[in-house]
Formats: sequence, C-alpha cells, structure tokens
Amino acid sequence: MLLNYSHTALASLLSKGDSLNSDEIGELIGLSLTVLGVALFIILPSLAFIYSMIFAKLHQSKAIKLLLVREANVLQQLGGDNLHTLSRPILDRKINESRLLVANITVGPSWWQLFLGGIRSIFGGNIVSFDKVLAYGRSEVMQRLREQAIGEGWDEVLNVRVETSMVMNKVSGGKQNKRGTLEFLAYGTGIR
Amino acid sequence: MEQMMTSNIETIPGFTITKSLGVVSGSTVRAKHIGKDILAGLKNIIGGELKAYTELLTEARTEALGRMMMDAAQRGANAVVNVRFATSSVAGGAAELFAYGTGVIIVEG
Repeated sequence: MLLNYSHTALASLLSKGDSLNSDEIGELIGLSLTVLGVALFIILPSLAFIYSMIFAKLHQSKAIKLLLVREANVLQQLGGDNLHTLSRPILDRKINESRLLVANITVGPSWWQLFLGGIRSIFGGNIVSFDKVLAYGRSEVMQRLREQAIGEGWDEVLNVRVETSMVMNKVSGGKQNKRGTLEFLAYGTGIR
Repeated sequence: MEQMMTSNIETIPGFTITKSLGVVSGSTVRAKHIGKDILAGLKNIIGGELKAYTELLTEARTEALGRMMMDAAQRGANAVVNVRFATSSVAGGAAELFAYGTGVIIVEG
C-alpha cells in the first residue's frame, strides 16, 4: 500500500516536469517588463539629457549663425531695414496697396538649458541660456517678416508688433509650462 | 475673401473710410496631434525651433483671420483695419487664437 502510494506520488511529480506553470511564467514576464520599463525610464532620459548637453549648443549656434547671415544679406540688399514700428511711412510716398503680414515661430529651450535655468532660479540673476533662446526666437520671427515682405514684393512694413505667448503647454497638474515653449508672433502692414 | 484688405494701422493707405461697422472677430481653438507632440517633445531635448508647433499655429491663425474676414464680409465691410491678435493657452495643451479688428467700408481716394 505504502509502496504503491509513493510510486504514484513520484509518478505524478515526474509528469509535472521542470517547466514553470503558466502563473509563474506570467509573473516572470510581468516582473521583467517592470524592470525593463524602470530601466528605460531611468536610462533613456539620462541619455537624452547627455545628448542635450552636448548637441544643443551646437544646434542652436548653427541656427543663430544662419540667421545672422540672412539678416546681414537682407539689410545689405535693401540698404536698411524694411520693418518700421511707426504707423505711417517716414518719407511721404504714394501707397497703392497694403495688407496685413504675419509671421510666427515656436521655440523652446533644450533640457540642458532648462536644467541650468532651474539652478539659476535658486540664486536668482540673469538666465543667460534662456536669453539666447528668446533673443533667437524674436530675431528669427522679425527676419521671417522681412523675408515674407520681400518675397511678396512689399516695399516696407509699417506698425510692426511683436508678441510673445506661452502655448502648447499642459496647464493641468500644477506643473505649468514644463517645457518652456514660447510662441513669437510678428505682424505689420505691408505697403507698396 | 481674397480682395478684403486688412491692416494693423488705423487706415488703409490710399483709401478713405466712409463707414465703420464695429468690431469684427474670428477665433479658433486648436489641440495638438499626439504624434506630432511626441516628436516635438523629442525635438525639445536640443531646443531651438519646434516646427510642428509653428506650422500648427500658422495654420490656426490663418483660419482665425479667415473667420474674422468672413464676419466682416457678413456685415458688409470691405476692409478690416487695426487688426490685433491674442493667443491664450487653454486646458490640455490646446491653444486659442483670436483675431479682431474694425470692419470698415472704404472707397478709393
């Protein structure tokens, strides 16, 4: 009787084998996915951050240099600026046609700049890295207005206004403007 | 719609305003496409221009201006003077773009 019993117990153990049952497999997959997820969550942003640290300056300097060249070209071509903040031309001239011209750009600081800005805001003072981004955005939008005016054949642009607004940010959750994205808008009346 | 004249100064140069028809306005609320948002988020790592947002806002602003002109046309205006823009961020990362101005009737001379 006893022998018989142990034999069947052994036999049932044998038939089970070494493989994991489905519950355990599920648990294991869940665990590994969690580990992988956490690893990605930690590693990817740090990689992105390092990438930002190295390449952001390069990328932005390139854009600023290109903008300076474009600006110089236009100013040289026209012999002066074609944007004016006055609502009438300085020199009396005949105006045949006029239309509203609009240009815009959205810019954001890099993660590295955001980080530097965050540190600087502890002690206060001038945040140089943000300065650069904002100055770039503003110059770029004015340059776009100039180029648009030239492209469409307007001689001058009167009453130019530049506006800044914070858009495309999630306002919910108390973390306002996490990315620091800004939109610059420039508009004026083109005349010819 | 093409012929409607717009300016952000008080007059349309070369024309005389004969009648003012009051404030005309147009607005649009745009939410961002989630795919583009993720791409823009990646672009945000190195900063600089975020083209996806620029394009979206250009498109939206053009639409707001178009609606403003439609409003003006419905009132019988043939020009809009002193156009201004207002942009505001509304819930969930959407943006409201608003364009307004004074609808007027102008004649040449």
